[in-house]
Amino acid sequence: MRINYELNDRFDLTIFLSASLLVIIGLFAIYSSTQNTITQKGNFDKQLISWGISLFVFFFIFALPTKLLKLTAVPAYVLSILLLLVVLVIGRRIGGARSWIALGGFSFQPAEFAKLATILFLSHFLSRSETDLDNLKDIFIALAIGMTPIALIMLEPDLGSSFVFIGVILALLFWKGISLFGLAVVLSPGIVAVASLFGPIYFAVAIGLVIVILFYFKKDIILSGSILALNIASGFFVDNIYNILSPHQQRRIQTFIDPNADPLGSGYNAIQAKVAIGSGGFFGKGFLHGNQTQLQFIPEQWTDFIFCVIGEEFGFIGSIFVIILFLILFLRILRLASFAKNEFLSLVIIGILAVFFVHFLVNIGMAIGILPVIGIPLPFVSYGGSSLLINMALLGIILNIYRSSKEST
Amino acid sequence: MSARFSPFDRKKIFYGIILAVVSVYIFKLFQMQILAHAQFDAKSSDNSIKAIEQIALRGVFYDRNLQLLVENTPAYTVRITPADYDTTLNRKIETVLDLESGFISNMLYKNRVYSKFIPLRAKRGSDFSAIAWIEENKEHLPGVDYVIEMQRGYPDSVMGAHVFGYSKEISPQQLKKEEQYYQPGDLIGSIGLEKKYEKDLRGEKGYDYILVDSRRREVGKYKNGLNDVPSQKGKDLVLSLDGELQRIAEVELNGRAGAVVAIEPATGEVMVLASSPQFDLNQFSYVTPRDYLRQLLNDPLKPQYNRATMSAHPPGSTFKLLCAIAALDLGVITPSTTLFCGGSFNYGRSFKCHGSHGSLNVIQAIEKSCNVFFYQLIFKIGLDNLKSYATRFGFGKKLGIDINEEMRGLIPNSAYYEKIYGKNWPQGILVSLGIGQGEINVTPLQLANYCALIANNGKSFVPHLVKGYLDENKKFHSYKYKQVNVGIKQSVFDVVKEGMFLVVNGAGTATHVRINDIQIAGKTGTAQNPHGKDHALFVAFAPYGNPKIAVAVLVENVGFGATWAAPIAKKIIETYVRRSMPKKTEHVEKNKIEVQQGAEIFAD
Repeated sequence: MRINYELNDRFDLTIFLSASLLVIIGLFAIYSSTQNTITQKGNFDKQLISWGISLFVFFFIFALPTKLLKLTAVPAYVLSILLLLVVLVIGRRIGGARSWIALGGFSFQPAEFAKLATILFLSHFLSRSETDLDNLKDIFIALAIGMTPIALIMLEPDLGSSFVFIGVILALLFWKGISLFGLAVVLSPGIVAVASLFGPIYFAVAIGLVIVILFYFKKDIILSGSILALNIASGFFVDNIYNILSPHQQRRIQTFIDPNADPLGSGYNAIQAKVAIGSGGFFGKGFLHGNQTQLQFIPEQWTDFIFCVIGEEFGFIGSIFVIILFLILFLRILRLASFAKNEFLSLVIIGILAVFFVHFLVNIGMAIGILPVIGIPLPFVSYGGSSLLINMALLGIILNIYRSSKEST
Repeated sequence: MSARFSPFDRKKIFYGIILAVVSVYIFKLFQMQILAHAQFDAKSSDNSIKAIEQIALRGVFYDRNLQLLVENTPAYTVRITPADYDTTLNRKIETVLDLESGFISNMLYKNRVYSKFIPLRAKRGSDFSAIAWIEENKEHLPGVDYVIEMQRGYPDSVMGAHVFGYSKEISPQQLKKEEQYYQPGDLIGSIGLEKKYEKDLRGEKGYDYILVDSRRREVGKYKNGLNDVPSQKGKDLVLSLDGELQRIAEVELNGRAGAVVAIEPATGEVMVLASSPQFDLNQFSYVTPRDYLRQLLNDPLKPQYNRATMSAHPPGSTFKLLCAIAALDLGVITPSTTLFCGGSFNYGRSFKCHGSHGSLNVIQAIEKSCNVFFYQLIFKIGLDNLKSYATRFGFGKKLGIDINEEMRGLIPNSAYYEKIYGKNWPQGILVSLGIGQGEINVTPLQLANYCALIANNGKSFVPHLVKGYLDENKKFHSYKYKQVNVGIKQSVFDVVKEGMFLVVNGAGTATHVRINDIQIAGKTGTAQNPHGKDHALFVAFAPYGNPKIAVAVLVENVGFGATWAAPIAKKIIETYVRRSMPKKTEHVEKNKIEVQQGAEIFAD
């Protein structure tokens, strides 16, 4: 046994410090956006306590034996599916979606746990020696593993979390080395579905594109035909899925397709968010001095719209600082993915990276008006105990894998 | 093998995606915060859209004949916005608004946890002279303004303070529980119907979208008010109360402590619920003057206490009806069973009767209110059986009337006495229970409900004060109430009701309230009061053959029930029955709604 290795050999300080800085910036933003409200004044204290608990969980997971990850993959997945079913029955409805389970004074979102469980199980499946992604059957099994939680989450309905899962599935399949044809098969129904939301012409163009791709790969006629049928079906089924969404989410998608449709309803938040960030300027208006924030022009700013607080009060400097911290985090995690001891661990790291990245992409994208308003928190920064806890746990897994990779060399 | 990326390429593509997204976001932020900063800043500081809440008009109260009992009247509210306000103005404003010195600084301190941009109400219902002064000195009064708000008005001479109740400014504790709807300074029902029906009465808030600058000063309306959401008026409640009868009860009780409750036996609709002394609701429609509050709190008769539903006294002889029902239903006596009264009853000591009645049956015992008959009866019934019958008639529990201020009273059982006196509790305690004295307490509402159940042969509905509501098209919608059935034979009721009929129309204890053309059936009672003069009680229903109204009257500290309570019941019964007797056509129009709703109730 070697004992005298450097701290950085076992522990990636860069990742840990980046995440910690994000939490601290988040605490400032939470304080600023809630100090003037009646009911949310305690959020700063609560987030501080959550951070303490999360740090404990982080170091606990960091210290666990790495082989546990593979052992828990199947039971964790089964449990998470059960919890997703349970929440549909006894879940508490918050903000239109039935997504919370309350246990005593403590409540959590099964979807958060399902993210981790799905990453573990899908990575486990993909890293088996007999799994072959040139075989369409294996692709469909992988999709089934990933789509089951998505289907349950869409019933809640929670659009934001579904996006995260889609990101995770795509990232894992891609990292495993899916062929370009396989990728086309996986991606095309989604593209067709989104296109059909915009109208029949877009739908037709997308189907045409699929036909061109099928010709290009020159697969046999039955396979090509069934893939085409799947695509057309997904275009028609999108209406059904659209109807599952809660009215406020439907309105948000409409608003995104036509931003001026409803400037005071769902468009209102998007406009006010942009005004908040844009008016921050280079240096920002200063801590506690953002009038958009302090006058509560944007609802629930301490959660999904927290980036507006940073943009308004800390300006371009502050926003860029946050984005750079995320960039460091992402690049560093991606680098670790190549060092992992085996393919399973490498896939787990990529899955976690996908979770962080999709949250980052959607959350900041909606704050700056590039993406539609979809309720999804900014990792480490947004207020929310269970979100912070799961993110720190995911970070703990990454550093755990890092530690194990160093120990064996 | 299909075309695919090498592991190295895959990593490069991931790098590419991450860097591309980050670059796009940084570019977009650069564009927003640096290139377009001036535009956004201008928007933020000059032209922000803010939704201003519009409080909805509160629903009003009508009586059962659609006579307006509680309405809304406009009044001026002076407000202070802490962010703009200069505290050196405190003295001046307190003087003009006639507020106690220190009121404003106290108010600012109490609301310090809320946003300083939310205006606080310094005074509701200000005099016009104060408003004129504010208007004149506007420039020198930063952060002070006034708005017109609605407050409660009581157009009718019906007081009804305990029934209607009042609203108060929401407390921080309530605000935490009700955060979705209320804002600091909003009114919320505090007692009575105003509390119970808060959700129906409050309506839905509306929103005006206005353009405000960074200091939250109004610049103009957003899109000329095109997007404003109008507030929705609350539901107008139609009470089961009868304004005229309620007023009579209040006038009759004036100057005394007591209560009157009248119920329509077939429906459980409470037509009168009066408690005396009253208090003036007009004093509660805005900030209540401290002097008035102090006066209410120091009054030994406690005017804010709802005697009709909360004062529990022994039922006295009115309870004999229940003993008779229990004995007949259990079969321990028959209508022809006679017991002997020699003027007193010995059980450890001598218990007196108010006469020597000789041999009498149960009907005669009710008519004469013979104590000795019922002293003997209680031992035949047994304590726990008595308790079970009492419970079926609504004693010893909350009836569930639609105001929260209700007491359960007390009906003892053997477990209760074992707890107090031990296993071998003296059976002599039972003797006085037979005539409704001792450790037994009932409320006037329970007595009225009990009388209504007897009148309607054991079937009625949970007593209630609200029949339903009128929607915006003045269409009536009824509320549904639970049915009650005590499950006792008709023959038992026939016997007891005959006894009650003779109390008024035979040689009974209340013959002085007899009316020639209206057959009243009743029972007097006197509740022993260890602290002073006895309380007078009377329960009655009429007409005997087809009961339309059941009444219970309590008058505290006056003596015999027959003398004091019975005439009040007579007056109410006479007014009600006579009103519906002669000129039927006149009331057909008014009662149309009532009939429809009655039909619905019977249907289920």
